[in-house]
Amino acid sequence: MIELKDVSYIYPHTVQEALHDLSLVLEPGRCIMVTGPSGAGKTTLCLAACGILFHEYGGKKTGLITINGRDVSAYTGLSDIAKNIGIVFDDPEAQMIFTTVEEEILSALEYRGLAPEEIEKRLASIMDVTYLSALKDRSPHNLSGGQKQRVALAATLALGNEILILDEPTSELDEHATRRIVEILSGLKRQGKTLLIVEHKYAHFRDMVDTLVVMEHGAISAIGAPEDVLKDERIRKIVIPDFNGIRTCASMSVAPHSAGAASPVISVRHLSYSYDDVPALYDLNLEIDAGEFVAIVGENGSGKTTLVKQFNRLLTPTYGDVEIRGKNTRNCTIAELARDVGLVFQNPDHMFFADTVKDEIAFGLKNLGIGDDDAVIDAALDEVGLLHTKTLYPRWLSRGERQRLAIACVIAMQPAIIVLDEPTTGLDGDEARLVMEILKKLQVNGHTVVVITHNRDIAQYCADRMITMEQGRVISDSPVQVA
Amino acid sequence: MSEILQYVHKDGFFHRLHPFTKILFIIVASVMCVFVTSIPFLILMVVALLVLARISHLHREVIQQLKLVLLMSVVFIIITVLTMPNGTTLGYLIPQGVPFIGGAIAITDGAIGIGLILALRFMVLIFAFQLFLISTQPRDLVHAMEKLHMPIDYILMFILALRFIPTLQIEGQRIHEAQLARGYNPGTGMLGKIRSVAPIVIPLVSNSLLRSNVLGLTIDMRGYRTGIRTHVRERKFCTGDYAMMSGLVAATAGFVVLAIFASGLIF
Repeated sequence: MIELKDVSYIYPHTVQEALHDLSLVLEPGRCIMVTGPSGAGKTTLCLAACGILFHEYGGKKTGLITINGRDVSAYTGLSDIAKNIGIVFDDPEAQMIFTTVEEEILSALEYRGLAPEEIEKRLASIMDVTYLSALKDRSPHNLSGGQKQRVALAATLALGNEILILDEPTSELDEHATRRIVEILSGLKRQGKTLLIVEHKYAHFRDMVDTLVVMEHGAISAIGAPEDVLKDERIRKIVIPDFNGIRTCASMSVAPHSAGAASPVISVRHLSYSYDDVPALYDLNLEIDAGEFVAIVGENGSGKTTLVKQFNRLLTPTYGDVEIRGKNTRNCTIAELARDVGLVFQNPDHMFFADTVKDEIAFGLKNLGIGDDDAVIDAALDEVGLLHTKTLYPRWLSRGERQRLAIACVIAMQPAIIVLDEPTTGLDGDEARLVMEILKKLQVNGHTVVVITHNRDIAQYCADRMITMEQGRVISDSPVQVA
Repeated sequence: MSEILQYVHKDGFFHRLHPFTKILFIIVASVMCVFVTSIPFLILMVVALLVLARISHLHREVIQQLKLVLLMSVVFIIITVLTMPNGTTLGYLIPQGVPFIGGAIAITDGAIGIGLILALRFMVLIFAFQLFLISTQPRDLVHAMEKLHMPIDYILMFILALRFIPTLQIEGQRIHEAQLARGYNPGTGMLGKIRSVAPIVIPLVSNSLLRSNVLGLTIDMRGYRTGIRTHVRERKFCTGDYAMMSGLVAATAGFVVLAIFASGLIF
């Protein structure tokens, strides 16, 4: 059991409270799901609940935290707390220490003071529960996101603790991988484990959650049984993304498509691509017209990202051709294609390096020789609602804001085609809707928008057309039926 | 993307050896190549390592590093030619016909010889360490180092430094792609590399620092630093170990005999 009573916390070298007067009880065998906007303090809550804030971070703390009835300060350190609690962080890659899946789990088991026979027994059981037996000799960094997450979970389960804390265990996973994680966690709950899960995908966890907690600005804004919490319409929109009406709202507010639409801006003919000897795309043919909003859906590894990387020649076709606005990509450089195609990657942190938000946007403009005109930068920031952050350090922004900044960096470069890889990853309902509204507005302003997503709601409520990929092939390509 | 110095899951001769045997192998190979100055003897050592890699079914992985090793060898030879002129002049880096500066920087047989020795030593060290690292699971390495009474923090630092090489490779590639997609064109060659420092290295370092925080917490929360460990699946000394040990003892004895009675063959 974990109990937090009137806990407030300020990180070192900051002045703002990351947690404010927070009280929460995690009772044995129960499952609490914590959700809320990025920057609301969810991860800080996890760190507080397992004593990391107290023992590792410093900063200013008030209030009381007890783990299994004992004050967190009474534990000698994290290794002592780890006898009671297991935590899975949101970055599975950072939790892979060894070089095979089996070695990762076995090593975690070796430090529990168990007899060798017991270790072997538990290893087999954990591999079985987490569906990792077939992957035991694989190298962790060659696994898919879902598989890595299962390895991180398995290594934590190896500790044999009754309390598990999971920080966004499914944030970057597709439907299939998410369902598998939920299945594993449901099984653990049935075994009597106590779970504290930070998540945005309430719909997937609905059946196992006993208490739903919504956090905003470091404080709990709603807590209780899910059905009670979700009665509040404002809270409901944070918990469950609602893309309803985006198509209509955007169309009404901005001018209709410019004339000349319906000519293909992206033309893919007999495209095949292989990574060394491993085929990733097989004989793809498709055309995307100017002004279209296209959603590309499919499981991880289906070839979605490989396909869009051909649009700006980050990858060059092994066979076949890709034409962007009539130009064969084989005859263009990546820098030339960047004028036509703006690509926003899944993790915005892969691009930020400048000291201010303004400089970050100016970088792309300078690369294209557009000049870092303040008016262009202001317009791009205004478009995504970040004008007030112009002088801030990009990495200080919340995840949702960083995602919007990544979009602003691309908008400022004024490409005709904007491609986004999983733009709503790690965002709460409100933030995800905001991003999709921005994209819809861009479409109405004449841009062609291509979105890679696992979320079929995005395709259903925002896109005009849905392309479904599976194992490197397009298995369906059809207009979205508007309800 | 090829993985540098990562464990390869196979079942060959080198994989079956006890980590202690492999550590001894590394020590013998390192000491020998550092003391030897005979080019034929060093070539013999390189060939022996390649044969050992072939027997252990690890030749592909070792050969993958050949490009880097040859590049470094050329660099060594150029540096010694520039900085250690010695012996007979074979020619000049700048032909004598060039006005004013012609005949500058003599290429001498002594400098080339020293460059070759350095290059061959580098090859021996790289191949030997690679054979060791790609055939030893980090868990076994931790066991062996613990038995040698090395502090656990240093052991973990060593293991993690190796483990995160491919992670940094992949992360660097992603960042590079993200910047290219923003029209970034740093150019090629040394100037391009210098230009690409800020847009690539800053995100790489920032992301790695965040990751190292999670990694440190994971190590603590999994109890790796407690030192309390149940040893399971420990490697036992096998026939291969005894054969390798005998080979190493014979090689060392032979080396000492040559050093005393026929030093001209190795020095």
